[in-house]
Amino acid sequence: MSIVITGVTAGYGRDRAIVENIDLEIRTGEVTVLIGPNGCGKSTLLKTIGRLLKPRQGTIHVDGLDVLRSDPKRVARTIAYLPQSPVVPVAISVEQLVGYGRAPHQSLLGLRSARDIDLVDQAIATTGLDDLRHKPVAELSGGQRQRVFIAMALAQDTPYVMLDEPTTFLDIRHQVETLELVRQLHNAGRTSIVVLHDIAQAARYGDRLVVMHAGRIVAQGTPADVVTPALLRDVYDLDCAVYPDPVSGTPVVTPKDQAMRQAG
Amino acid sequence: MIDTLPAQRRTVAPSRAILLIAGLVVLVIAAALWGLSVGAVAIPVEVIVNTLFNLPGEQQAYIIMKSRLPRMVLALLTGGALALSGAIIQGVIRNPLASPNIIGINSGAALFALGLVLVFPAIPQVWMPLAACLGGFCAAGFVMLVAHYRRLSAIHLALIGVAVGFVFEAGVDYLLIVSNDSESSAPMIWLTGSLWGRTWAHVAISWLPLLTLSALALLLSYRLDLMALGEGTATGLGLNVPRQRLLLLVVATLLASVSVAVVGIMGFVGLMAPHIARRLVGGAHRLMLPVAMLVGMLLVVFADGLGRAIAPPVEISAGIITALIGAPFFVYIMLTTALEQD
Repeated sequence: MSIVITGVTAGYGRDRAIVENIDLEIRTGEVTVLIGPNGCGKSTLLKTIGRLLKPRQGTIHVDGLDVLRSDPKRVARTIAYLPQSPVVPVAISVEQLVGYGRAPHQSLLGLRSARDIDLVDQAIATTGLDDLRHKPVAELSGGQRQRVFIAMALAQDTPYVMLDEPTTFLDIRHQVETLELVRQLHNAGRTSIVVLHDIAQAARYGDRLVVMHAGRIVAQGTPADVVTPALLRDVYDLDCAVYPDPVSGTPVVTPKDQAMRQAG
Repeated sequence: MIDTLPAQRRTVAPSRAILLIAGLVVLVIAAALWGLSVGAVAIPVEVIVNTLFNLPGEQQAYIIMKSRLPRMVLALLTGGALALSGAIIQGVIRNPLASPNIIGINSGAALFALGLVLVFPAIPQVWMPLAACLGGFCAAGFVMLVAHYRRLSAIHLALIGVAVGFVFEAGVDYLLIVSNDSESSAPMIWLTGSLWGRTWAHVAISWLPLLTLSALALLLSYRLDLMALGEGTATGLGLNVPRQRLLLLVVATLLASVSVAVVGIMGFVGLMAPHIARRLVGGAHRLMLPVAMLVGMLLVVFADGLGRAIAPPVEISAGIITALIGAPFFVYIMLTTALEQD
């Protein structure tokens, strides 16, 4: 049981492909973090798995289910996808938005079953949103909104969850809060795939890192194996010192003085 | 601090929602009775009830059954249809300024329906809604295609819609001028959005499509909720977004076009009703759509009644009244939306 991506090439319109011939297996039960410089194709790959972008070539199987050729609702019962900065609808309460996570399990009328109500309650409790339950989502802060969307993905009750840069635009406290929620997803037995920018955060919260560069996967493995000065120089064109985080022991990255590097 | 804003203005408890819908239904019925009573001959409500339900006592069968009831039925049908059409378009495009009028559907429908009547004067009226739908699709289709291929923002879409609307309106003016015959005041009155002279024949050609489409719109309301989350999230929740968007826009175009075919351009109803509904019950479409429908009915019935009550026996077209209320409302929406975004 895993996500198997085979020979995926994808891009926008008639432009050059953004990701090319990607083969990747995402193991069940782990937090996989996609990292890489801007424009490397990490978000594009996630969008392709999330069916937001049709690949030009290749196949994607989630637990044996052919994602691109199956009923979209069936796929949505297996894998949840949260885009980068999702649209916040007008005049919708936290409870209503989290409730939409149950849509793939419901008929077209969206009538709620007892199980739907249960799972929405659980998701709201897990994400600590009880006090905000009846507030309009549009009136919440960025960090609170992100929690609401993660609660929606929780209510979707899928074995796989994909998050595209969930920490963008959040301050450090809310970044940590969001990533702790990702940890909780993991502890609850979900497999998650997360796109992150911050390498130290990726190393701390990911079980496995996948590094992309110019539309290809250039490295994958445990944070300790992947985050090395050599890789950072290749991928980000940056000289860095890598040392263990004093709290978690996972690798942390500090850029060296770049002027010196150019001189040398 | 958080508790200082209880389950407030934007989200509504189910019990309150049911009460509100019941209240609106009562209002619509009251407005309809008032609408049946006003006009060149004022008729007491008691006489109207006697006539409608064939009770003993004084009746006014001719005026009510032949003249006022069919136009009341049309006011209810088209008011609801325009409101639903506007609510769907605003939901799909995610633009509070959108409406069937703004994206050119109304003038497209008007041009084709008018063209049909002027070019083939002998053609049975049944064809008018079909011609109107074709015109509506031409306008909406063009606007949507441009928006799709150029990936336009909501505001660009609205502006192109307005431009397309002007082109079709110019066509309408041209047709009115070249068909300069003695009866040309009739299409003129029809175009301003009027229920004047509407008969059971108009009801006959429009009730089935309008009722079917309205029911379909209400059935699709949950999908509108998911569409409101944006393409990415909606896709993640298992919605085939391009297909649903097309389906919803087709339903909205048909609703507005058939309405235009029977009552002309009833401006701003499709814009105002969804906004009022959203303020009353929040943005969840399963509740917002039925409320918008009732508000739309209320607006058109009220506008028609007012138009006949102001200076009988002269009639002011309902479309003029809705535009008089709607234009300032449009400005108000623009101002408040801009403020909320700041």
